[in-house]
Amino acid sequence: MNKTFHTVFLGLLVAQSLALFVIEGMLPVPFIAPGAKLGLANLITVIALYTMPHWRDALLVLFIRIMLATMFGGGPTIFIYSLAGGLLSFIAMLAVKKLGQDKFSIIGVSAVGAFFHNVGQLTVAVTVIQSPLLWLYLPVLALVGIATGIAIGFVANLTVPHIKKLPGFSNWMTDTV
Amino acid sequence: MFKKWDIILIALLICLSFLPELFIGSKQTEQYSTTYAEITLDGRLYKTVPLSAHHGTTRFTINTTQGSNVVEIKDAAIGIIDADCPDQICINMGFIAKPGQTVVCLPHKLMIEVKTDKNSNNDDIIPAF
Repeated sequence: MNKTFHTVFLGLLVAQSLALFVIEGMLPVPFIAPGAKLGLANLITVIALYTMPHWRDALLVLFIRIMLATMFGGGPTIFIYSLAGGLLSFIAMLAVKKLGQDKFSIIGVSAVGAFFHNVGQLTVAVTVIQSPLLWLYLPVLALVGIATGIAIGFVANLTVPHIKKLPGFSNWMTDTV
Repeated sequence: MFKKWDIILIALLICLSFLPELFIGSKQTEQYSTTYAEITLDGRLYKTVPLSAHHGTTRFTINTTQGSNVVEIKDAAIGIIDADCPDQICINMGFIAKPGQTVVCLPHKLMIEVKTDKNSNNDDIIPAF
């Protein structure tokens, strides 16, 4: 595996997920439930999970994106919410991908990610506000999240085969995944 | 594309999302007589306002170190009508009146929760047949 290609690809993924995050912030989102979002940036996390040679690389993409997103348009509050949602979602996606072997497609993995992103953020919200009543928003948040998660998984499903055509992938895709 | 297990997984997630409803959702359906709203800031009680006994429109502003929210009480319903937080989610949540409902402004750590005075001891009695 080529180290230069690895670094450049990692950088591109971070840049793209940050761009998606910023673009998403500009889009007017219909108010369905408090905190319901498209989760476009998760597209890159999913793609990274399926293209990078090791899951640590995907985690790195996610973490750097959250750090940069905090500087670009958030604050300490947004950071904690993003981190809790992002990490829980990542762990869940990784678990489903590893444990499920080939049973689940990218769509299933992405839906799980979206669901646990909501769970993570609600956990922080419940802790901050100190009221378990907020958990009652989970059904509607989860439904919206799973719907966007499926859409994200669909796009990732179409993208990943094309990314793997890149010359840099030819030698290390086969032996590591 | 879609696999059989994806569908099972997604169905499972949807079922899982209703889990909190089972534990705390029952609170919302019980009968109530008098209601009041509890306003908490950062988990600490800030103010209690009666709702069911309230008529007309009252408006007041809550200032915190993070910013301010304008709360309006319209008859027995309470809501936030103006806030200087970036997301404006609390305003979109509208007016609430039923016990157990909440309006939350996360950036300001502000929560309004409707509560009732009624004792819910009746819940413990299981009718014997």
